Amino acid sequence: MRFTAYIRDRLFCIVTYVTFFLVFWLMMVAFRSPVSLMRAFALLLFFLAAANLSWDYLRKRKFYQEFLYNLASLDKKYLVLETIENPGFYEGQIWHEAMYEINKSMLEHLKGYEESIRDFKEYIEMWVHEVKLPIASLLLMCHNNRGALEKKYVEQIRRVDSYTDQVLYYVRSEHTENDYIIKEVSLADLVRKTALKNKDDLLENGIDFSVEHVNVCIITDAKWMEFILNQLVNNSMKYKKKEDSSVIRIFAKQDADKTVLHVWDNGVGIAAGDLPQVYKKAFTGENGRTHAKSTGMGLYIVKQLCNKLGHGIEISTIAGEYTDVQITFTRNDYYFRD
Amino acid sequence: MKRILIVEDDVAISAELKELLQNAGYQAEEMTDFAHAAETIAAANADLLLLDINLPGLNGELLLREIRKTSQIPVIMVTSRTSEADEVLSMSYGADDYITKPYHPTILLLRIANIFKRIDAVREGTTALHYRDVLVNPAKGTLVREAEELLLTKNEMIIFQLLLENQERIVSRDALMTDLWDNNEFVNDNALTVNISRLRAKLSEFGYPDAIETRKKQGYVLVR
Repeated sequence: MRFTAYIRDRLFCIVTYVTFFLVFWLMMVAFRSPVSLMRAFALLLFFLAAANLSWDYLRKRKFYQEFLYNLASLDKKYLVLETIENPGFYEGQIWHEAMYEINKSMLEHLKGYEESIRDFKEYIEMWVHEVKLPIASLLLMCHNNRGALEKKYVEQIRRVDSYTDQVLYYVRSEHTENDYIIKEVSLADLVRKTALKNKDDLLENGIDFSVEHVNVCIITDAKWMEFILNQLVNNSMKYKKKEDSSVIRIFAKQDADKTVLHVWDNGVGIAAGDLPQVYKKAFTGENGRTHAKSTGMGLYIVKQLCNKLGHGIEISTIAGEYTDVQITFTRNDYYFRD
Repeated sequence: MKRILIVEDDVAISAELKELLQNAGYQAEEMTDFAHAAETIAAANADLLLLDINLPGLNGELLLREIRKTSQIPVIMVTSRTSEADEVLSMSYGADDYITKPYHPTILLLRIANIFKRIDAVREGTTALHYRDVLVNPAKGTLVREAEELLLTKNEMIIFQLLLENQERIVSRDALMTDLWDNNEFVNDNALTVNISRLRAKLSEFGYPDAIETRKKQGYVLVR
């Protein structure tokens, strides 16, 4: 709160004082009052005006400065009302009460949204579990009626299953409180499960699937990591080149302090201009235009989960040649000590 | 014949599971009364239990704990829930395996076969496998007949073992492939064909020329 700005704001009041003073001065000259009385009167009037203005200025300054300072230093600005005391002047009180009401109604409004989002997420999670049942029975039916149904039916059911999984992990990636258990997990086990899950797709597409050096223990959540691996392998399959001899290689490299898992494929790669944006929600880029199936959600969810689990993720790629996704697990001696 | 009890409230899945298990040569029964689940299970006296976690009116994990008080029957938990906590809880209550829906039917059968294999090995106190007059030694990867020894590669041994476990029955290419992949051998279709013809050639050289028969569009059979 600047003094000059305050004075400018009070200009009308000051002009009134000055006019009042001039009128009295002229009257006293007209009535031939003694000069000393006139001087005393002028002095009195001046001090009265000055005292009045500065008292008002000071009490307002105290309030507004505290308010502005708190506002600037707060992370969540909407909480500023909680940090200031009730102002001691009338306009301030009106303002304070109004702000309080506005704040309250806004919070209630937000609360409503929060609840509806949480309800919706809970519903989605439940729905995913429900929808897994018909998917499971469909798979069993296909298996029991082999010969009558071709493998391509199973493939489509698998796709439905994988998209349903994506929904589940998307919902989970946004609220962390949902359970995950970080413990020592065999990387070979995770790779094996992922491979088995995608076996039919890989064989059907004639993709050469090779796994090396994965006999490592990593610290992660098995379910989430399995989902991440599954997404990456699915991406590799989705963005393979049209011609044959597609290769997916999964291998791990170990350092003193970290293990890096590589998911390498010789697919279409990612255009250099798209690379910085692949983790953005719903970003599809160059490959999204050429591949109809892109949703732009896969890598976004993978990145979110990696962040939650504390794994690093990096992609090195040359468009038209290869894509190499690297996931970094830091080793933690605390867990290995025994 | 091994008897498997299916504890699953979804009628469609339960029926299909039953058919799947029967086709695989097991005797399968569905449980329909969940009110007295623990007693019914005890009375059924099955060889293995497929137990769903979400059951009407009760929780599969708690039911498992109840069962474990009186019985050591092998239990595979089957569930559509995919949280790590459920798995840990199930295993700590004494489940032998844990599979999430929708499972691959071949994988489910493989898991069941593995559990029975383990139990039978313990029961007989030996892991010796025999084919005709040959002793099969999976750990060494050899077939032994008196002083003679036939060396098999890892893939060939995996294939031979699965055929041996299902002697006289058709083993599909898919089952063989799944078993190989489950053992971290990620081979493709061609490699499987090559491995089988190599195994055939080796067996034939060892004195069993017609051991493995091909059933067109169905799979392979190891004959006695």
